[in-house]
Amino acid sequence: MTLPIETHLLQACVSEPVKPVLDNVVTFGAGHFYISQSDKGEMVMGGDLDGYNSYAQRGNLPTLQHVLTEGIAMMPFLSKLKMLRTWGGIMDMSMDGSPIIDKTHIEGLYLNCGWCYGGFKATPASGWTFAHTIAQDRVHDLNAGYSLNRFNTGHLLDEKGLGTKTWIS
Amino acid sequence: MLHIKCPHCGMRSQNEFSYGGDATVKRPELGKEISDQDWNNFVYNRKSLRGKHWELWQHLSGCRQWIKIQRDTATHEIFKTLKANEEIS
Repeated sequence: MTLPIETHLLQACVSEPVKPVLDNVVTFGAGHFYISQSDKGEMVMGGDLDGYNSYAQRGNLPTLQHVLTEGIAMMPFLSKLKMLRTWGGIMDMSMDGSPIIDKTHIEGLYLNCGWCYGGFKATPASGWTFAHTIAQDRVHDLNAGYSLNRFNTGHLLDEKGLGTKTWIS
Repeated sequence: MLHIKCPHCGMRSQNEFSYGGDATVKRPELGKEISDQDWNNFVYNRKSLRGKHWELWQHLSGCRQWIKIQRDTATHEIFKTLKANEEIS
């Protein structure tokens, strides 16, 4: 089955531990950057996709440099920190940046995918509507808009989601 | 860091390039009746291959030409680069 989804690479990184400076998650609205501090004191950061199709689970430095430049613009003290580790994960990027929660034309096959970089906070609602879709074999009102067919009909979702072409958004 | 051999300029760093997606997607022919499904395949549906993948890049901070690259999406190894008007063999 061909889907309106591309697999992309997203990196994150963590610094050496420092004394408590941040008791919240902070995001950088002018670009794409987030930061929080772990209980051990490490600064946990990330942001943009590397920007090309990848299954490699490891990234390249230009994107990391770009992301951390945004971080340093917001919190200059970050430039003094040593980086402990970086890693990359693979993301199912949908074309409009919103997920697909739907039945398919194959009996017994259901889709819950295209969550892009996010989706963690949406897990209870996505699980609940997905369970309804499977148990009743029809979509719930709440996930009717997240259909696979929306790409065919042009009813894309405008939720400020970022899909595969993040540089356009 | 990816090192990409631009067919016009030679080996350059990834910093000079921007990505343009799957190079095998063909635009439906102009002037013909095109089904919604065909438009959907052109605009949205992608194979998203794991392995050898032909893709478009633009040498944005160099010669500004669009080029085609065959790259392994699992290892990032680059096998071939072509000019935009050269056919993928």
